[in-house]
Amino acid sequence: MVAAPIKSALRITAVDDAAARLGLNAGMALADARAMYPHLKVAEADPHADALLLEAVADWCDRYTPLVGLDPPDGLMLDITGCAHLFGGEAALCRDLVHRLEAQGLRTRAAISDTVGCAWGIARHGKGGVIAPGDTLAALQPLPLAALRLAPETVAALAQMSLKTVADVLARPRAPLAARFGTDLVRRLDQALGRETESIQPRKPLPCYVAEQRFAEPIALEADVLGILERLAGQLAARLEQHGEGARFLEAVLFRVDGKVLRLSAATSRPVRDPALVRRLFADRLSGLGDEADPGFGFDLLRLSVVTAERLDVQQIGFGADDHGDDVARLVDRLGVRFGLASVRRFTTHDTHIPEYATTALPAHLVKEEATAPLLGQDSLAPARPLHLFAQPEPIEAIAEVPDGPPARFRWRRVMHEVAVAEGPERIAMEWWRDADGRTLTRDYFRVEDRDGARFWLYREGLFQREVTHPRWFLHGLFA
Amino acid sequence: MRASGAVSEDLAGLRHQIAGLEGRARYQEIAPAVQFAVPALDAVLGGGLEPGAVHEVAPAAPLHAGAATGFAFALAALADRTRPGQTIHIATGFGTAETGAPYGLGLSHYGTAMARVLLVQVPRPIDVLWAMEEALGCRGVAAVIAMLPSDGAIADLTATRRLALAARERASFGLILRQRTTAQPSAAATRWEVAAAPSRADAFGGLGPARFALDLTKNRRGRCGRFVLEWNHHERAFADAALSGRVVAAPVDRPARPPLRRAG
Repeated sequence: MVAAPIKSALRITAVDDAAARLGLNAGMALADARAMYPHLKVAEADPHADALLLEAVADWCDRYTPLVGLDPPDGLMLDITGCAHLFGGEAALCRDLVHRLEAQGLRTRAAISDTVGCAWGIARHGKGGVIAPGDTLAALQPLPLAALRLAPETVAALAQMSLKTVADVLARPRAPLAARFGTDLVRRLDQALGRETESIQPRKPLPCYVAEQRFAEPIALEADVLGILERLAGQLAARLEQHGEGARFLEAVLFRVDGKVLRLSAATSRPVRDPALVRRLFADRLSGLGDEADPGFGFDLLRLSVVTAERLDVQQIGFGADDHGDDVARLVDRLGVRFGLASVRRFTTHDTHIPEYATTALPAHLVKEEATAPLLGQDSLAPARPLHLFAQPEPIEAIAEVPDGPPARFRWRRVMHEVAVAEGPERIAMEWWRDADGRTLTRDYFRVEDRDGARFWLYREGLFQREVTHPRWFLHGLFA
Repeated sequence: MRASGAVSEDLAGLRHQIAGLEGRARYQEIAPAVQFAVPALDAVLGGGLEPGAVHEVAPAAPLHAGAATGFAFALAALADRTRPGQTIHIATGFGTAETGAPYGLGLSHYGTAMARVLLVQVPRPIDVLWAMEEALGCRGVAAVIAMLPSDGAIADLTATRRLALAARERASFGLILRQRTTAQPSAAATRWEVAAAPSRADAFGGLGPARFALDLTKNRRGRCGRFVLEWNHHERAFADAALSGRVVAAPVDRPARPPLRRAG
C-alpha cells in the first residue's frame, strides 16, 4: 500500500490485491485503515520515481511505434497508425504489449480505437480490447461520464442532473449542455467520437528514416551490435541515396530483453551516407560509454534512425589533390562523438572592440563561414593581440604613474616583474549602450615586456579620477 | 649486393611511382622539411625539422610558459607554410586555465589564420594522446599541438613511439608541449627548451620582435646546441638574433623612465 500526504492528512493512494480484498481503497485516510488493520505495510508515495518508471516504459514502447505520448500519472498513448501490420494485426499487437509488460511485472489494460478519447475511456473505464473503426459510438455509449476526461466537478454536476453515462449525454441537445457546463464537455464528446481531430504529443521527434532488426535470440557482443548497425546503415543508405540526402544526426536504439532501452546518438558536421563511417562513429561512441553500455541479458531489437537529414549531392572523385576538407570533417566527427560536440571548436569573430568578445570559440559543426581577423592599427614589430587570453582577467598589483602611465612593476601570481619596455596605452571603452547601470569602465591596455623577456598584456580598469579614484590593474593575456 | 643507399633510393622511387599510379597526391608520402631559414640551425637539424615526426617543446621555467607556446605556434605556422592545412590544438580544461585559452585574433596576427585552427578540449591527459593520434592520422592537417599538464609524464617512450609512427605514416607534424622540462626518454625527433629573451627595441624604443632563447636538448639528426631566434610575424619567419641584450639609447638628459610608446 502506498500512502501520501494529501491536504495535510496521510491518505492511501494505491492498494494491492490483498488490501483491496480486505476492503481498503484509495482515498481512505491512513489512520482509519490502520485502525481497522494495525499490521499494514505502507510505503511512502514517490511521484518522481513513478514518473521515471513511466518514462522507462514509454522508452520501451518505442519498439511498437515512434509516436509515444505520456498520459500521467500512469498511462501511455501510442499512435499505431501504420504499425499494426508489423505485429500481425491490432489485436495481436495489443496482446503482445500486455503480455510483455506483465512479464516485466506491470499490470496493464490496453485499448485500441480510432480516436484518442475513445481509447482512453475504454482503457480506463471499460474492459479494454480492440474497437473496430465503425463501432466507436456503440463502444462509448455504456461508459460512465468520467471516461470523457471531464473535470470531477462537471461529472458531479451532470450526475445531479441524473446524466450518468455517455449515452445519456448524447441523447440531449448540445446547445443547452454547452451553455450550462461549458464548451469543454462538448469538445470532449467531439474528440471521443472523432468529429474533432486530436493527436497525441509524442515524446521524441519523428525520425526521417528508420531501419530495424529483431532477433529471435538476444545478442550481446559489441562486434555483433556494430555489424548489425552497419547493415542497417546500408539499408538506410539506399533510401537516403534515392532522395539525395545524407544523415546529419543518427540515433541507434538498442532494446534489452529485460525492458531497458539504450539510446546512442551521433551527430556529424557534414551529411554522411557511408555505412562504414556510421559504424565507426558508433564504435567510438560505444567505446566512450564503457560500462554504461551494459547489454544485460542481450538485445532483442536494434533500430537505427536518421533524425535529421540534409541534402547531399553525389560528388565526382577528381584526379589530383583535393583540399581534404572531408577528412577534417570526419576527424571533427570522431572527436565530437568521443568527447562531445562542444569539445571541438572553431573561432568566430564579432563586430566589437571588447577583446574577450571579439573572438569566441564555438562548436565546430555550428561554424559555417570562415573567420577573418580585422586589421588593427596598433601593429608594430610585435603583434597587437596576445596569443593566450584568460577567460577571467587576473587581478595584479601594479605601480604606475598617474594619470595614465604604463606600469613600472607588477606582481602576478606572487612573482614580481620589472617592466623593461611598455607599449601603449590602447584605450578600449566599454559599450556604454549595453550596461544599464552606467558602470562601464574604460580599459587602457599595455603590452609590456619584463626584464627576462616575457611579455604580458595588462590593462588598467577605469580612468583615474574621471571614473574611479583607484584604478585596478589586470592581466588579460600572454604574448609569445 | 647493392649498397643500402641505392636500395633505399630504389624503394623511394618505387613508392613514388605507386603513389602516382594510385592517384594519390605526391606530398602525402614525402613532405618537405620544416625549415627555420637560419643556416646554423638548419645545418644542425639536417635540413630542417623532420616533417613526419613528433617534436617536444617545454619552457625552461614556469615564467616562460608563454614563450614556449609562442614557439610552438611559430613552428606550426612554419609547417602550415610548407604544407597548408588545419592546425589542431588539443588541451585539457585545466591547461587552459593555467595559461589561458588560445586567442583567435592573436593567432591570426602571429602567423596562423584563425579560420584554419581547430581547438579540441578533452577531459584527461590520456585523451590528449588519443586525440593527437587521431589528428596525426588525418590528411589535411598541417600541425598538431598537444598541451600536456605539468611534465607530461603520460607521454612516455611507448606513447611517443606510437605517436611517432602515426606521424610518419602520413608525414604529419606533431608537437608535444609540456609545462615543465623533463628528463624522461621519449621517441620525439627533437626536444626544445624555450625561454623568453629580452628583445631588441625598435627605432622608437618600443617592443621589438619576440625573441626566444632556445636550447636544443635532443636531436636525432645532429648535435645539440643553444640558439637565439626572433620571430617576425609579418613575414612568418624566424631570424637569427645573434645580438644579446638590448640596444637602447641611454637617456642622458631625460628622467629615468621606461621608454614608452603612446598610441596614435
